[in-house]
Amino acid sequence: MKKTLKLIRRFLMLMICIVPLLFILNIALLAKATWGERSANGGWTAAGEIGELLVREENGEYTLAEEGRRILETYEAWGILVEDGTGDVVWYSDNLPKEVPLHYSVAEISWHTRGYIADYPTTTGARGADLVILGHPKTAYWKLLWNTFDYDIIAGAPKYILAFLALNGALVFVIYMVLAGRIMGSVKPVVRGMEAVSEEEVYVREKGLLSEVAAAVNRVNEKLRAQERALRKKENARAGWISGVSHDIRTPLSMVMGYAAELEADESLPAEARKKAGVIRRQSVKMKNLVGDLNLASKLEYQMQPLKLENLNLTVALRQAVVDFMNLDPEGKYPVDFQCPEGEAVFIRGDKVLLQRAVTNVLSNSQMHNPEGCHVEVRLQAEEGKAHIFLEDDGVGVTDERLQEIANTPHYMMGSGSGTQLRHGLGLLIVRQIAQAHGGSVRIDHGPSGGFLVEITFSTLNGQAVR
Amino acid sequence: MIVLPMIIEQRNKQEWIAVKNKKILLVDDEEQLLDMVVSILKQDGYTRIRTAVSVKEALEAVRDWQPHLCVLDVMLPDGDGFALLTKLREMTDAPVLFLTARGEEEDKFRGFGLGADDYVVKPFLPRELLFRIAAILRRSYKEEASKVRLAACEVDFERAEVLRGDQTLPLTAKEYELLKALYRNAGRIVTIDSLCEAAWGENPYGYENSLMAHIRRIREKIEENPSKPVSLLTVKGLGYKLVTGEKR
Repeated sequence: MKKTLKLIRRFLMLMICIVPLLFILNIALLAKATWGERSANGGWTAAGEIGELLVREENGEYTLAEEGRRILETYEAWGILVEDGTGDVVWYSDNLPKEVPLHYSVAEISWHTRGYIADYPTTTGARGADLVILGHPKTAYWKLLWNTFDYDIIAGAPKYILAFLALNGALVFVIYMVLAGRIMGSVKPVVRGMEAVSEEEVYVREKGLLSEVAAAVNRVNEKLRAQERALRKKENARAGWISGVSHDIRTPLSMVMGYAAELEADESLPAEARKKAGVIRRQSVKMKNLVGDLNLASKLEYQMQPLKLENLNLTVALRQAVVDFMNLDPEGKYPVDFQCPEGEAVFIRGDKVLLQRAVTNVLSNSQMHNPEGCHVEVRLQAEEGKAHIFLEDDGVGVTDERLQEIANTPHYMMGSGSGTQLRHGLGLLIVRQIAQAHGGSVRIDHGPSGGFLVEITFSTLNGQAVR
Repeated sequence: MIVLPMIIEQRNKQEWIAVKNKKILLVDDEEQLLDMVVSILKQDGYTRIRTAVSVKEALEAVRDWQPHLCVLDVMLPDGDGFALLTKLREMTDAPVLFLTARGEEEDKFRGFGLGADDYVVKPFLPRELLFRIAAILRRSYKEEASKVRLAACEVDFERAEVLRGDQTLPLTAKEYELLKALYRNAGRIVTIDSLCEAAWGENPYGYENSLMAHIRRIREKIEENPSKPVSLLTVKGLGYKLVTGEKR
């Protein structure tokens, strides 16, 4: 919309520039056309000159001097001299047409000097009290016979001119706006379609001025959507494949885990054998976690895990996740210190199961890297619109290189294939994916006590209407 | 040989025998897995176990044998476990635990929605399965386990009383709900929020101070020294834990 307004403004400016230019151009053309025109004024001067060049002879006859004859030739005109008082023609040139009368009443003179004698346009001059009339060829001049203007018109001319200009301008503007509106009406859906086609399904009606462009936009849309569908299908197939594999691996793994645990607990077996069974059990648990993580990670990656969003009391969800973790640690090797804001509940919009999964993953990560046990601190902090979950252990911590690696490695699905991420499990990647799916972020760092620190940040609903 | 000594120690013997005497039906199409689960259960002391590899067999077993607990797989050769559960419900009220490779949230919700008592995703550790089976059995057949030994007293849930020496202290309704919620998860931490929900129902926010007051009163009834509790322990900021069984 903004853009189309800009377009209209632009065209309007162009027009405002063009109109004066056209005006100037026309004036110039007019000037050019009239430049070589025979000046009507010349005819009147010539008449005056002829009057001066007529010589009265002794016998009262008039003769025209040689120069006068040339003037007549130049103008291809004939000339007469009308005597004052009698109205008789006392001199005429040799080329006088026959239809020109040789006597004039005062009324006739008034008419003929203003206009024509026998269709010959006339100009006049004086010779003393006598009148010189030149008759020019019929096509030489076009005379204004009633060349009078109403006095008011001349007096109000500036006003009228301005009014005319304003009216003209207004009319042109209205016509332009109507036309522009029409054009915009047909351009706008196409522009909108083009803007949106990269993001979403569009259809532009193939009608009007730009029907061909609209059709092209629709073709682009179809192509893009087809590509998206193909990609989606491929991703679905991949996620489905991972899901299928992880499903099929579960039952055999159950038996590995179950029998290993049974052997480990069998006191009739030698201690060495039981220890080995214990290793098998622990490794099969790792495989179990990996299978589950792989499935979840691929689903999150391909957005196949629908988020069950609800207005969630983050304190409650966090507390439950921590307690679930502690209940799986009956020996108390990983004591958790839990802190949350007193009194005020922190609400976010989120998927409870996934959020708890993220927290559990971080806690399990601490557990995995600190087999001797460590102390964990879980802290929930809320500030304007943001909730921070700090999960910090006092265990072995993390090297700078590894930290760099975690921060810089993209999603494992897009990884270069070196497989470093997989070697370390998918736990933290899932934490990041879950945070991102909630519009949050994850920071991984050294803890103040040298341990491992994960900070997960979400936007809260606090301050907004909840429930 | 007993895999879960810790939990069993915490129960009194009478309850233990009652639980281990329950009839358990295992339904799974994978016979080797059935063998393994049977072996796990037997080692833990369960004696009355039957298996079925199809929906048909399972229905027969339920009809003829009336198990106390059914452990169902979701994918069976002649139908799925969800449909089987619906059919079972027409014949018995016995609790049902799903033991399946289907780990999706939707499957879990579906299972619980149909009235399953628990849902375990394969692969699983024997300990976990045993714990969950024992918990379901205790919960479902609780009349046999209505009295619980604590360090300084005995709690009779049927009569909502605390028996301490020759004293009988009645429990109020809230105290009863709280103690029961804790007992259902004996040995495990129960969050403040779950306890509030147990006592005050839906939308249990803002009751934390009341909860503390009630816990204090429960301690006065069940603890020898309420300021140094040994049965009802505080886990700071998170919740409470009930330790049952003999004094350790």
